[in-house]
Amino acid sequence: MLLWENMKLALTAIRVNKMRSFLTMLGMIIGISSVIAIVSIGDTMRSMFANEYANIGLNRAICYVMKYDGYYYYGENFTADQVEQIIDAFSDEIEYVSAGEGGKVTGINGRKNYEIVTTGVRGGYDKVQKVDIISGRMIDDRDYEGKKNNIVLEEATAQELFGTADVTGRTLKIKYTPSGSSGDVIDDFNIVGVYRNSQSVLMRVLGGTDNSRGLAYLPESILTDIETNGMFSIDMFVSEDAPATFQQQFINYVARVTNAEPENVRYSSAEEEMMMIDSMMSSLSMAVGAIAAISLIVGGIGIMNIMLVSVTERTREIGIRKALGARTGDVLTQFLIESAVISLVGGIIGASLGAGVVIIGGTALGVDVVVKPSVMLMAFAFSALVGIFFGLYPARKAAKSDPIKALRYE
Amino acid sequence: MSEIIKIQNLQKVYDTGAIQVHALKNINLTIEQGEYVAIMGQSGSGKSTLMNILGCLDRPTEGQYFLDGIEVGKLSENKLSLVRNKKIGFVFQSFHLIPRTSAMKNVELPMIYGKMHARKRRERAKELLCKVGLEKRLDHLPQELSGGQRQRVAIARALANDPPIILADEPTGNLDTASSVEIMELFTQLNQEGVTVIVVTHEDDIAEFTKRVIRFQDGQILKDTKRGEQ
Repeated sequence: MLLWENMKLALTAIRVNKMRSFLTMLGMIIGISSVIAIVSIGDTMRSMFANEYANIGLNRAICYVMKYDGYYYYGENFTADQVEQIIDAFSDEIEYVSAGEGGKVTGINGRKNYEIVTTGVRGGYDKVQKVDIISGRMIDDRDYEGKKNNIVLEEATAQELFGTADVTGRTLKIKYTPSGSSGDVIDDFNIVGVYRNSQSVLMRVLGGTDNSRGLAYLPESILTDIETNGMFSIDMFVSEDAPATFQQQFINYVARVTNAEPENVRYSSAEEEMMMIDSMMSSLSMAVGAIAAISLIVGGIGIMNIMLVSVTERTREIGIRKALGARTGDVLTQFLIESAVISLVGGIIGASLGAGVVIIGGTALGVDVVVKPSVMLMAFAFSALVGIFFGLYPARKAAKSDPIKALRYE
Repeated sequence: MSEIIKIQNLQKVYDTGAIQVHALKNINLTIEQGEYVAIMGQSGSGKSTLMNILGCLDRPTEGQYFLDGIEVGKLSENKLSLVRNKKIGFVFQSFHLIPRTSAMKNVELPMIYGKMHARKRRERAKELLCKVGLEKRLDHLPQELSGGQRQRVAIARALANDPPIILADEPTGNLDTASSVEIMELFTQLNQEGVTVIVVTHEDDIAEFTKRVIRFQDGQILKDTKRGEQ
């Protein structure tokens, strides 16, 4: 009962001294809002990276072999036979394999030249990776086996070269370096399909150029002849059902097949990379958030200061309350609650402000903002704690005052 | 009649470090339930010190003080607060209302500390303010009231927990003559209802209202006269 009375009392005190209360809260408002904003921006970035990796494919992995004799350098390419042997051994776990070949070519339509980044693919690529075909089809096994001059363009590339996305069935001259050739050649390619690539949110926000922008797909066999050149790396998609021990098994097997030491077999998966970035980002936002939290101490000292002034100003009131039967604990609670309420109200305003700024900014950039309710609740709890901690000294001063002296205080 | 206040061999010494001030010297005093007492004396006579001790705001250095049978000097801080809350109604010279707080809320205060239920509390506060003639001023703030009205709010507040004793310290010191008379008549009425009223004053015409006058000088009782015995 007394708790509720004290809350009302505290709110009244805040209302009566509006300007002073606001200035006192300002420290908490700034502190809490910056912590909330920083943590929310961090969480948003993490979710954006997670999306980005989900697009690339979390189950994508690349494996290649290094050599070591004092220095590391790249080992020999996998031969076609080795690759076949490896794939056969893990046929259940590996869903798609390619050499990961690709490169820049120039697309020519009449007098228009346009640089296109290509990726060599085999049939089934669209089964492991989302390709949003809007007309025609994706490169398939027959294109790969037959080394057909077929290409799948991105919508924007088609627009750039032909002025329309409706280009399926048309021909595009491409200047490139075919496998086994040392010079550029210009060949006719049939456009068998067009796909749409929505630029990633992350790239849009960071303002960078997206590597996947303008990416064109063509049969990998056009770019490299695995039978003669082998493969530098095995670029693969691992089944989601693969056991946790897959990576180590795979490395050991590759080492055996290629006569390399297992520690020289390099294996990097998108998932690992993402987890690394995620943990980096989360510790970074924690660190920056902690720095911002220092301002909360400043805010707390502001509260302590004003509570001391308030206790002095209200010495007589404290004396009256004691004369009327208030116990030491009652006075202590009254002032503690008052400082906790000031701090909490500041925290609530600050948290709303911080979250509001992040949400407005995110909306303007078209980003799905992540503002965790748990973080908000923690901010509220923490601001109340700051109030109680810094209110303790002034409240004790009030509670211990002698009623006779307090009543005489002018 | 029972003894509501009994003081035996009471001493009060203020030790300021450099000098010791003997504020009260060997006081023996008994006040019965229902008495109407004036404590008089010049400033420095010890009447304020006695008032503080009677009000359980201060403790005797030596001797015993029984309030309604309880020996107050041995109680803890918090117990003293409880005694003040239940047994004593204070009325001060400068009213001592809580600023920026309505008359109702001021009267409710002792009942809040007495842990009375909110609805009962409000009913009682209203009843008491009506009793002192402020039924139209329930929600006024202290600064919106005249001196006499403020003192009446303070009296209503003093009566909140229905204490056996009212301790009034120069209750008319800040009031004009007309208001002073009104306030003293209110005390007389309360006394007739059975409340023990103790008024500290230095004005003879205020003491006129009471039935017993205790004069103080140099920390000692100079004269203790009951009306009718003169």
